[in-house]
Amino acid sequence: MGGTDRNTLKDAVRRIAFRTSLDSLKKQGVEQVSVLGIDRIIALIEEAVHRSLKSRFVGIERDAVADATKAEFLRLLRTNEDLQRQKTEVEKLRDRAQEEVDQMRRELSHQQHALAERLQQGSLPDTSRYAGEDAAIAAKVKDLVGALFRAGDVGSAELQERVLELIIDTVGHERRNAESARRALRDREVENMQRRIEKLTQSLETTEHRLRQVAAMKDIDDGISSIYREVQGLGGGEESYGKKKELMSAIFQANMRLQKKPQ
Amino acid sequence: MEAVAPEKDHGVLYIGMDLGTSRTSVSASNGVRETVYSMVGYPKDVVSKKLLKKDVLFGKEALEKRLSLKMYKPLEKGVLKYSGDGSMTEEMKANLKAAQDLIGEAIRLARPRKDELVYCVIGAPAEASMKNKEAIIEAARAHVDSVMLCSEPFSVAYGLDWLEDVLVIDIGAGTTDLCRMHGTMPEDADQVMYEIAGDAVDAELKRLILQSCTGAQVSDLMVKEIKERYSFVGDTSERVVVELPVSGKPTQFDITEQMRKACSVLIDPILEGIYRLISTFDPEFQVRLKNRVLLAGGGSMIRGLDTAIERAMKERLGGGKVIRIEEPIYGGANGALKIAHDMPEEFWEKLK
Repeated sequence: MGGTDRNTLKDAVRRIAFRTSLDSLKKQGVEQVSVLGIDRIIALIEEAVHRSLKSRFVGIERDAVADATKAEFLRLLRTNEDLQRQKTEVEKLRDRAQEEVDQMRRELSHQQHALAERLQQGSLPDTSRYAGEDAAIAAKVKDLVGALFRAGDVGSAELQERVLELIIDTVGHERRNAESARRALRDREVENMQRRIEKLTQSLETTEHRLRQVAAMKDIDDGISSIYREVQGLGGGEESYGKKKELMSAIFQANMRLQKKPQ
Repeated sequence: MEAVAPEKDHGVLYIGMDLGTSRTSVSASNGVRETVYSMVGYPKDVVSKKLLKKDVLFGKEALEKRLSLKMYKPLEKGVLKYSGDGSMTEEMKANLKAAQDLIGEAIRLARPRKDELVYCVIGAPAEASMKNKEAIIEAARAHVDSVMLCSEPFSVAYGLDWLEDVLVIDIGAGTTDLCRMHGTMPEDADQVMYEIAGDAVDAELKRLILQSCTGAQVSDLMVKEIKERYSFVGDTSERVVVELPVSGKPTQFDITEQMRKACSVLIDPILEGIYRLISTFDPEFQVRLKNRVLLAGGGSMIRGLDTAIERAMKERLGGGKVIRIEEPIYGGANGALKIAHDMPEEFWEKLK
């Protein structure tokens, strides 16, 4: 094995090793440790591989197999790194989904609170709100009628009473109109809020479902590699090649028709 | 949040699938071979969903939790319980979804890598309707890069490299299919199907047990398990003794004769099919065809069935040789895998 290969193997071993401190080992009750240098580990791996190969192969064949084995080892190592990366990505996705859910929950709670406040406002007794207004109107009318009366043309308390009744009735009518307009506006607002809450709730459910799915993926199965790197097909030297080719063609044609693909 | 689809440049995974009434089996080019009962269960309500922590369960797991699930057996007599026309009932729609989920699960069981092309061949019943086949294709397409269907008995024969003058008997749960191969794709005249198969044996065994074992209580599942363990035809040196509850108390019953009788219901239709396919074959090759009868499918595991068919063939056709395939459960899937492997690249590309 050349120097570069040795270094690659060394790097590989380093990457799969884990670090720990002496304190941590002491805590685990370890008093003494046996130390094995990385060069010794590499030498042992090399020796094991060569011994194994020596018993099965000779010459060039052995070198070729050794190279192929090394390449496969490095490929597996890279695959392992890819898996680690994918795992981290999924964990990030899960965290992000969790964050989204939390945000939605907060927003939902805020909207529900606002709606409750709005509904409470709507149910306040109107009489208390308008009592002051009535008094002000009455006072103004009184002032006006008083002024007229003082002017001498208009007369009695009865007249004053009637004018007051008339005006309050008019104002009451206007107020009812304004109130119904206000109520319509409030109903629209409530409806909008309810719709938003419904939408938020749905969105929250969807995100929670996605989160559950991501959480269930914690033991991600990345599958098992196929033994084929590329598409195979019938080999020319295969037994009954011609017959099998015809059969493959017949199956393919039937599937083209079935899957409505243009011929 | 959607993950970016990985580039599929790391290899090609071939999957062969046998979509059966009772079991769905897969064989893949990564060495995975799996089988799952063709049963799908969905939680009945929110409580069961929370308890099971799954939206859908399959096979044995679904069977074990069946009290909390709405169960579906999406295939019946070898085909999907689905018409594909305007008369679709809610039940049919639910069965279609169950079938789609089952196909997805079977492909997941093959453990494909995300960065590999996945090419799948599914052994479908010869009698399946066009709509039925389309539904299978649609279901599989969601999980693979390219998919093809082929006839089930054909895939069994192809897997064993028996392409000429061979008669395949595929005994499933819903149907028994017979197909003769003569070097080309089998046509309608080359295939015969009977609805007397594994399920018919179960029904007959249950009837005989209830008739003869006084007070015994037995469910369909119990009968199926008993059959899978003790089934036989012809002579046997071992008695079939089973324990069944009688008013809550486990009680032993000898059901040797009942088992023999129930399993024997398969022989007449099989013999009838063999006779039909051999007598209408080229007379020059009839003897060769008689001596190349392949017994496949779950039903072929009935002890003594090959000998019993040979004996019946001798009486009716003057002789014959029946060979039981080595792996009845995976025969169809292995054949489909071989077809997938042998299919040229351009064919797969065109069907992508």
